[in-house]
Parts: sequence; C-alpha cells; structure tokens
Amino acid sequence: MSNLEFPLPDIGEGVHEGEIVQWLIPEGGAVAEDDPVVEIMTDKATVEIPSPGTGVIAKHLFGAGEVANVGDVIFIISSDGAVADSPSSAPEVAEEEKPVSAPVVVEKTAPADLPAVTRREDGKVLAAPATRRLARELGVDLTTIRGSGPNGRIRPEDVRTQQSAPPAVPTTPTAPTAPAAVVPTFAATSGAHEEERTPFRGIRRKTAEAMSRSKFTAPHFSLIEEVDCTDLVDIRNRAKVASEKYGIKVTYMPYIMKAAAIALMEYPQLNAMLDEEAQEVVVKKYVNLGIAVDTPNGLMVPVVKDVHLKGLLQISAELAEVAGRAREGKAKAEDFQGSTFTISNAGNIGGILATPIINFPEVAIMGVHSMRKMPRCIGDDIVARQIMNLSISIDHRLVDGADGARFMVRMRELLEDPALMLL
Amino acid sequence: MSDLLQIIDREGNKVGTVPRVKKEVFLNMYRAMVRTRAFDDRCMKLQRTGKVGFSVPNRGIEAVSVGAAAALDISKDWVAPHYRDFGIMLYHGVSPERMMDTMFGNEADSAVGRQMPVHFSFRKPLNFLSISSPLGTQVPQAVGIAMAMKTRGEDGAVLTTFGDGSTSASGFHSGMNWAGVFNSPTVFLCQNNQWAISCPSEQQTKSSSYAIKGEAYGVPGVRVDGNDVLAMYRAVSQAVKRARAGDGPTLIEAVTFRMGGHSTSDDPTKYVDPELVTYWEQRDPIVRFSAFLHAEGILNEAADATLREEAKDEMLTAARAAEAKPVPVLTSVFEDVFEETPAHLKKQSAFCVDHYSSRGEGVNEKGEFPL
Ligand SMILES: Cc1ncc(C[n+]2csc(CCOP(=O)(O)OP(=O)(O)O)c2C)c(N)n1
Ligand SMILES: [Mg+2]
Repeated sequence: MSNLEFPLPDIGEGVHEGEIVQWLIPEGGAVAEDDPVVEIMTDKATVEIPSPGTGVIAKHLFGAGEVANVGDVIFIISSDGAVADSPSSAPEVAEEEKPVSAPVVVEKTAPADLPAVTRREDGKVLAAPATRRLARELGVDLTTIRGSGPNGRIRPEDVRTQQSAPPAVPTTPTAPTAPAAVVPTFAATSGAHEEERTPFRGIRRKTAEAMSRSKFTAPHFSLIEEVDCTDLVDIRNRAKVASEKYGIKVTYMPYIMKAAAIALMEYPQLNAMLDEEAQEVVVKKYVNLGIAVDTPNGLMVPVVKDVHLKGLLQISAELAEVAGRAREGKAKAEDFQGSTFTISNAGNIGGILATPIINFPEVAIMGVHSMRKMPRCIGDDIVARQIMNLSISIDHRLVDGADGARFMVRMRELLEDPALMLL
Repeated sequence: MSDLLQIIDREGNKVGTVPRVKKEVFLNMYRAMVRTRAFDDRCMKLQRTGKVGFSVPNRGIEAVSVGAAAALDISKDWVAPHYRDFGIMLYHGVSPERMMDTMFGNEADSAVGRQMPVHFSFRKPLNFLSISSPLGTQVPQAVGIAMAMKTRGEDGAVLTTFGDGSTSASGFHSGMNWAGVFNSPTVFLCQNNQWAISCPSEQQTKSSSYAIKGEAYGVPGVRVDGNDVLAMYRAVSQAVKRARAGDGPTLIEAVTFRMGGHSTSDDPTKYVDPELVTYWEQRDPIVRFSAFLHAEGILNEAADATLREEAKDEMLTAARAAEAKPVPVLTSVFEDVFEETPAHLKKQSAFCVDHYSSRGEGVNEKGEFPL
C-alpha cells in the first residue's frame, strides 16, 4: 500500500484558505486520476479538485463546511503497489462527448432572444464580484434583489436602491421602529421536526468572528444606571421647535452623544484601546462616536467624528447625514471608520437593560434603552417621571469597576440636568 | 456592420463559400482545435491540483485562434498575441511540452521561469511575441513591427490579438491610429468573447460593435462568427492579403464566448447566466467543425475519436515531462539580458550564490542553486 497525501493548493492567486463544500467521493470510494474528488470554496471561487492519482480515498481530513488552510492535507489516496508504481498506466476515463442538441432555434448572432431570467432555479444570483462586495459592505442580501441588468444580473445601482428601501435608521431611543407585524402561520401537520440548514458565511460569519474576538479577548463587565430624563424631554421639545428653522430635527441621541463626549474627555480611560502588539494602552484625546443601529439589513455603525468639538445642532445634522448616507447606500468606507466609543440603541425595540458586546478594540460600549413614564419619589411624593436606563459594557483589562461607575454617574448628572453641558 | 461573416452554421451546414484548401489544412485546423481544448483541460487540472500556479481557460474560443493562425505564413508573418490564444501556437507546431515548460516555469522554459504561467514567448517555429499582462500593450508593438517590415520592403504581416475589454486600453487606440495613418501591414483581431473578467460588453463600449471602431481610424472593420473556424480563416486570410498588397490594416471582430472562467482565480457562475452558457454550448466551434468534416467525408467517427484520445494523451505526456524537469538554476536570473554578462551582474550573481550557500539553502543534487 502506498499513500498519496493531497495538500490544499492555492487555487486562486494568493488564496489562504478554502471551505470544503462537499466531498464528491466518500471515504473508501475508488477514484481514477482526474476524477473530481471535492468541491472547495475560496473567497474567489468554488472549484472542483480533480484527483491527482488513482486508488481509493483512504481519508477525508476535513468535513463539509470546515475550512482548511492552503498546505493542509485534505485527503489521502491509497493505491496498491502496482498502481502506485506505474501511475501513468492508470486508465484515463474517457470524457463523455456532449450530445449535440437537436437544432430548433434559427441561427442568431447574439442571444437577444433569450428570456430575461430574474432568479435562477438553483437560487444563485448573478452579480459581478464588485457588486457582491458592495452588497456585503452595505449588508444587502443579494437573493432579495431583482437585477435590472441583462438576464437579471444585479448591478451596483440595484444594491444601492435596495439598501435605501428599508425604513430610516432610528436615531432616537423614543422613536423605535416597529418591526413589521409577523402573521403567524401554523403548520397543518405536526411532528415533522423540519430543520433548515444554511451555510454559515458572509455577513453573519464576519459578525460572528468580530463578536467572538471581542467577547473572548476582552473580559466584559456591565453596569446599569437609571436616568431621570424629565428635564431633558422638556429641553429637547423646545430645541426641536427652535431648530426647525435650520431644517434640522433634534432628537434625544445628540444629547446623549454630547454628554458621552463630555464624560469621555473627563474619563478618557473609557475612550481608549489596547495595542496588543505594541503592548501599549492608547488613550484617545478626541471623541468619535459609533452609533450602532439595528436595521433590516443587519447591524450598522456609522460614525460621527469629533463630537467633543461640536454643538448639538451640528451633531444632529451630521448624525442625520451619515445615517442617511448609510441608508441610501451612499456611505463611504470612512463613514464607518474611526470610532473611539460606541453607543448602541438597539434597546429601542424593547428590553429595559442589556449587556452589549464591545465594538472591539474599543474599551466600552454604551446601551441606550427606552424612555418610559414611571412613578418615582421626589421628596415624599410619588410623581410621574420620564425614566431611561443606560447600560455599559467595559473591558476590565483596562478599566476598573469604580471608573465605570464614575463615568455612568457623570452621564446621569449631565442628562438629568442638561444645562451642565453648557459649562 | 452587424453582418456576420459565416461559412458553416452551427450544425455544420455550408452557408457560405468554403475556402479552397487541401483536405489536410482542414484536418490540421480541426486537430489544433481539439488539441487546444485538451491542452486547456490539462492545464486546468494541473492548476486545481496545485502543480501549476495559474491558467487561462481557452474553452469555446478555439476557432478564433486556430482559424487566424491558419491564415498566416510563419516564414514572414509575426504574432503579437493576447493571453487567450493557445491555438495559434499549437496550430503552428509549438510542442505542448514546450508550452508546459512555461506553465511549470522549469529550466527548459523559454522564458526561464521569469514569467507567469501562460505568458508564452517563442522565436521558433514562429515569431510569437511574449504575452504580457498589461492589456493592449501588444497592439502598438505589432504596429511597430509591421512598420519595420514595411520600411524594409518585406511583405510580411503582423497579427495582433486582444480581447473586447482591451479595446478600452490606450494601446488599442494608439496602435490603430498609427496603423491607419501609416498604412501598416497589421491585422487587428479582437476576440470578442463577451467578457472582460466579469465586465460584460454592454458596459465596455457604447459603440454598436467592436468592428465599427475601425472607422474612427480609417481602418476597415469586419465582424466574423468566431465559432466558425472557416469564417475566421477567410477573414484573416483576406486581411493578410490586403496587408501584403500594401493596402493597410484591417480590424476583425470575432464574436465568440468564453466558456470557462476568466482565469483559474475566477468563478463565472457568480455572474454568467447559465442559459447563456447553454446557448453558446449549442454553438460549440469543435462540434460544428466536426459535423462539417463528417458531412464532407473528410473525417469519420473512428478517426475523430482517435484524434481526441491522442490529444488527451499528448497533453498528459507533455505535462508529466515538464513536471519532471528541474527548476531553473539561481544564476540564470543574471543571464539572458546581455550577450555577455557584465561585471556588475557577475558580482551580484556571486553574492547571491554565497549568500544562499552560507545559509545552506538552495543547492540541488547537481550542486546548482535552484530558484
Ligand atoms: C492595463 C490593464 N488593465 C487591467 C488589467 C486587469 N485585467 C486583466 S485581464 C482583464 C480583462 C480583459 O478582458 P478582454 O480584453 O476582453 O480579454 P479576455 O480576458 O476576455 O480574453 C483585465 C481587466 C490588466 N491586465 N491590464
Ligand atoms: Mg473578453
């Protein structure tokens, strides 16, 4: 017996890894040289790998769905001595000639008579790699788009149009976007225990990687603070009217952002990152705020820069602008870059507290939760107040609990008495 | 301009005047097409098994290269090629083993391992300029060679080939313009295979065809069914004849379809409609020409089957031979450019050998320094 080990080659230019899509020959199955053995998907292409020799597939070293690095042995062929000694005597499998299909169509020089296909039966969509990349960046699912190109091919414009279709990115915790009502359908039969399997890749996998890296690298601790926003509601209502003449709509988010910028300048250890390679703590002396929002296309984090230098009106305008650009699919890469601290308002959908996961390598993320009228004690009286929770998750490697608590107390002070922000 | 020169239709029926050539020429063309496909198939398998780094699928365009090649007289005509042109070399007797030497970049490689796989260059048996990756650069080079032929009073012609996408490169425009103004004996062959990687023709040009672009330079243009090897042969023969007669350049647009990916790094199923592929499969240049040859009594089933088998074996044997050859020696890096290696390169060569030997790296059984 002799064994031939097959290392995964670089099947594109500069490919580093490949995912096993499926084995075309099972372990124990016979192969002749050139027979397709396995289908591999790289970030460039999905290809069939032909057998480098004749024999029996002794072992698959990776299962379907697993990712192998270039150079990893992915399967082993064992061949008996006779065949191994003279591989050139291996019978070439005769290639089947394609049947010449019966002539029906009158000769045309261009396939103008082809029907315009919009969706392929196998569920694949037609789109150039640049279009796919745009869709990935904008979090658009290509299978939901109708392509306007020839034969239903999806063009970049289609992706952008689709991206601008979903409702506005919510920028205020009090104006949650109501998710479309889901009409429940009850299966007529029971006990089928149906399951659906979809490949774990694309945006979902990227998000998963980022979340795991954050959660498994940074030991998180979380704190919750309650904020009485009664005064803020009043001030904001007046600001809303006053800012109308500038054509700017002031929401609550700019106040939270302004307060965060002030508090972060005072507690800069929360506005930092750990440069692990250099083994240095990098404290940022400027505040760029990432605003994490839930959209039908997934999580997006547009960034408003230099919030510490800007007034409420400007913050409002810029937030509306970056969020708008992201919505319309006109966002530039830099709209999503450079944040030093992130605020998440996913809580506007529901839930009164959260333990958000840090937007790594930042050191903290703050969650903003829904504002509700609640009974509270003022002196000995029970009065109705506008109550909102703020949560924060912090990387305990760089920040201790006491500092986190001080920061949150400062946030509360600033939001309960917004006039302090003028100081 | 939308007229398409066609001699045999997709079932192999005659719809135009068949060129009057010997039976052997037909057979040579057919064999070259079958061998081109076999060479292409073998290269794809070599790449997928990690034996060569890269290849460029030629499936579907065999008639373009072979029909054009057959119209050349390689004792005087030159070729400034595109990378998707295996058929030109194979038709004119470049051995598959020499081509495989380039695919592997071994010590016998005519480019001595300096080039990527597929970037062939040969002086014999034909003058086949080195394929270069930057698109369209071969076009003004072809015009320059043709001008030299004209200046010397020779009656050679230069065939330059390029893709539909390459018509957007500056070389195409400067070359065409020169050729038009100075009446250079150049044949411009645009292989319109409908794609420039994933960019389709409708995003490549607003012109109604590629052939019509000749008008801007005063160069006559013709559109040819690129899957009809006889039509290709006829169009290129006429263009070569015009060139030899001093009547100047011609632009030929060969309408065909790239049946594989752009290269081994590409996945065409991401952007090519499978119905389009089916449409073009029914217009396969080899199937069509085979039907014609059968109908004309030039080829029978048995001979056809043998020829195909032989082509596959030939390519496998060539690949094994090339694979078995060692890589070029390190010192060859410093050779070739100058007839006699100048002192400074000798010094660098010695330094390099010293450096690697001091690290105990790179010596083969022969005591040479492989790359
Ligand atoms: C000047 C230049 N621009 C871009 C590229 C990248 N590139 C390599 S091949 C290719 C597509 C060329 O298409 P086409 O001319 O139609 O030839 P085909 O590949 O279809 O045979 C491109 C854009 C290049 N090599 N050179
Ligand atoms: Mg092309």
